[in-house]
Amino acid sequence: MVFWTNMTVENPFQDPLRFERRMPECTVVIFGANGDLTKRKLLPALYRLMYERRLAPGFAVIGVSRTPMSDEQFREKMHESVKKFLEDSPFDEDVWAGFSQGLFYVPGDVHDAGSFNRLAERLIEIEEARKTGGNVLFYLSTQPSQYAITAKGIGAAGMARGNGWRRIIIEKPFGRDLDSARALSRDVHEVFPESELYRIDHYLGKETVQNILAFRWGNGIFEPLWNRRYVNHVQITAAESIGVEGRGAYYQEAGALRDMIQNHLLQVMATVAMEPSGVFEPDAVRDERAKLLRSIRIMKPEEVGSNAVAGQYGPARIGGADVPGFRQEPGVGPDSRTDTYAAATFFVENWRWAGVPFYIRTGKHLPKRVSEITIQFNPAPHFMFGQNGGEASPNLLILRIQPEEGISLKFSSKQPGAGMKLRPVSMDFNYGASFGERSPSAYETLLLDAILGDATLYSRQDMVEASWSVVKPVMDAWSEAKFDFPNYAAGTWGPKASDEMLARRGHAWTNV
Amino acid sequence: MAATVQPDRILRELSELWVSLGEAHGDESAGVLRACAMTLVVLASAAEDENAIGETLGALMRDHPSRAIVVRVSDNAEPGLDARVFAQCWMPLGQRRQICCEQIEISASNGSLADVPAVVLPLVAADLPVIVWSRLPRLFSSSALKDLSRIATKTILDSSAFADPPAALQALAHAATSGLLLADLAWTRLTRWRELIAQIFENPAYFSRILSIRTVTIAHTAAVSQVSLDYMEAWLRLCLERAGAQPAFLREPSDEACSSGFCRIAFTSGVSGGLDIVVRKVEGSAVEVRAGTLVNRTVFPQASDYALLREELSITGHDPIYEAVLGRAAEAGMKQ
Repeated sequence: MVFWTNMTVENPFQDPLRFERRMPECTVVIFGANGDLTKRKLLPALYRLMYERRLAPGFAVIGVSRTPMSDEQFREKMHESVKKFLEDSPFDEDVWAGFSQGLFYVPGDVHDAGSFNRLAERLIEIEEARKTGGNVLFYLSTQPSQYAITAKGIGAAGMARGNGWRRIIIEKPFGRDLDSARALSRDVHEVFPESELYRIDHYLGKETVQNILAFRWGNGIFEPLWNRRYVNHVQITAAESIGVEGRGAYYQEAGALRDMIQNHLLQVMATVAMEPSGVFEPDAVRDERAKLLRSIRIMKPEEVGSNAVAGQYGPARIGGADVPGFRQEPGVGPDSRTDTYAAATFFVENWRWAGVPFYIRTGKHLPKRVSEITIQFNPAPHFMFGQNGGEASPNLLILRIQPEEGISLKFSSKQPGAGMKLRPVSMDFNYGASFGERSPSAYETLLLDAILGDATLYSRQDMVEASWSVVKPVMDAWSEAKFDFPNYAAGTWGPKASDEMLARRGHAWTNV
Repeated sequence: MAATVQPDRILRELSELWVSLGEAHGDESAGVLRACAMTLVVLASAAEDENAIGETLGALMRDHPSRAIVVRVSDNAEPGLDARVFAQCWMPLGQRRQICCEQIEISASNGSLADVPAVVLPLVAADLPVIVWSRLPRLFSSSALKDLSRIATKTILDSSAFADPPAALQALAHAATSGLLLADLAWTRLTRWRELIAQIFENPAYFSRILSIRTVTIAHTAAVSQVSLDYMEAWLRLCLERAGAQPAFLREPSDEACSSGFCRIAFTSGVSGGLDIVVRKVEGSAVEVRAGTLVNRTVFPQASDYALLREELSITGHDPIYEAVLGRAAEAGMKQ
């Protein structure tokens, strides 16, 4: 009898049609284990993966931070955090009981070589006890300034090599500019090769961003329209309704251009505009993404004024409450020149996109929290229905990233009844509604991918450098510019200059 | 009950249903969205709880929006057929627009059962898969089910309720080898156990010692179906053989603390340094894995009709592993 001959023989118990992706045993070492990201995102995501039976039974986590704590205290602390920050999921004490047996803690300072040696010893103990096969994923959830020293500490303690694979995840920002990004890569590469370095961009882990790839290349009808001949322009919006929420000191150093556009939004733009790869494999997809980023036209200094807009929110009264301006936020200087809003027009210099504007905007304290991509198609070449036929509205394809992940297509339809009057209608695909199953969080997806060694959704050095190159002229111009900040009130859609930037090309921001 | 129904009339009623749904939500920015990815034909007894089936189908619509055709079969020997149409709608959170799927309910007496396939055929949604889910064990060898299976992409049964399990397995195996795409919920119920066992053997430290396994013990309550036991043993045997191991198998009736079904599956080497793994149900839906000194716990979600169907509806092609296990289980049954 032919017995699943086309299946892998490595583990004959596997059933790829029915089982979730295989997860190897491993230890995740989290530096900055007492920080917000660990409590709010990482541990809830790992617990959720355990709940979904995606983690191997011997899975282990070692938390590392300066705070003195025992394993038991760390478990108790994480128990509270996971219960509190677990989104859209039940908390099960039985699952937690199993999961928490794999949680360990090592107090230590990244500036102290002894801490790394203690961690190395603990890692060996845990590898033996939990049969992790020596596989280790290091997650740096620390201050970016500590990335290099932490990587070097790992290397010096001999933890970058072992019985199994060794990988390292770092969080954005990957440098403050092109030079510091290169320096960071150089430092980490002394210990980990690029193939084991995972630069996390949680935007790429979102289901809808991944769905863009499925939408474009899993269907035959959209890709023929996906070019300069049919697409009029593209808009990418990432709006936050909240301010800096106590992160004023950090944000003052970053700003919207660095915090959002340089990484998340340029990655999203690359996903929308890249060429299809021959195969869906990490380096093939990332090659195409990198190629697209390198194709974005670098603005000349004199072009920045008309193609980029900086904004900073001022005080306002929203919903009966007084909202402070950015300069009144704790930790922010009274004359801060940081951009809390940034918009830019980019062009891609290739045959597919030549001449098509890509408008990107992001900001704090905008009217609502929404992230979406709008692709506006060219109008019908001739509107034959006359004045009484209503207005010719453009076809829009809207890819919503948050809060409701989904895809909408707007087109014209005849109004029922006598005469020929057109009206826009929307055909919606709502990810949550169409697939009742809860979408995994971006961190679940990305952690799972890193453990499986799939770097498709992670940034690569050449992509990071290309992104910094794109925003460099804007950063340079803005560092010299005299802004009349604040230039938009909290709760509005940003500075007027942003609307004018689009109006100059006969366009307007879509109503999100 | 009338003796005949006209598919054309049902289709007309379906069209009118969508018009009325649209009118009920006249606001152009709201309205309803029609969703259909397949036709799901459900064969159920008229005596079954209508609400329970409705709830299962309603939940399934979110994952697998479909045109559902529910055939409710009564024991009446007199000819009788009737039909009605309605919509299953839901409002996604935060949205103004409802999503609706259409449902056709056909009431058929036992005497009219043979007429059902001809009524269903014109009602299936064009160019989409047709899935037949028979909840009626007695229909297994009926001509009505055979005719419906011919138009079906996949036929879903539950052999755990069949009166003669070995005969059922052989009939299923015969149908599968003749090209019919079959699913058996008695097999689907094993997925969580199988997945957990597969995950354990992902670890090279355990897999490398698989040849040391001498005995596999399957402990179960009296409530577990014979077919499920046969499937589990056949699957384990095939997997272990493929890895080169040929342990003895023990089936052990158990009164351990498990409410129903399987209580424990143990892989025993009986030698020092060999592989000893126990997967066992503990309280509630929790399951404990004991591999050497390492103990871990997980939770099996409830194997509701909805969960089982959702899994099967996501597989619309051949399932080579199920087909191989079915063949082996049927073969083992013949030898007994």
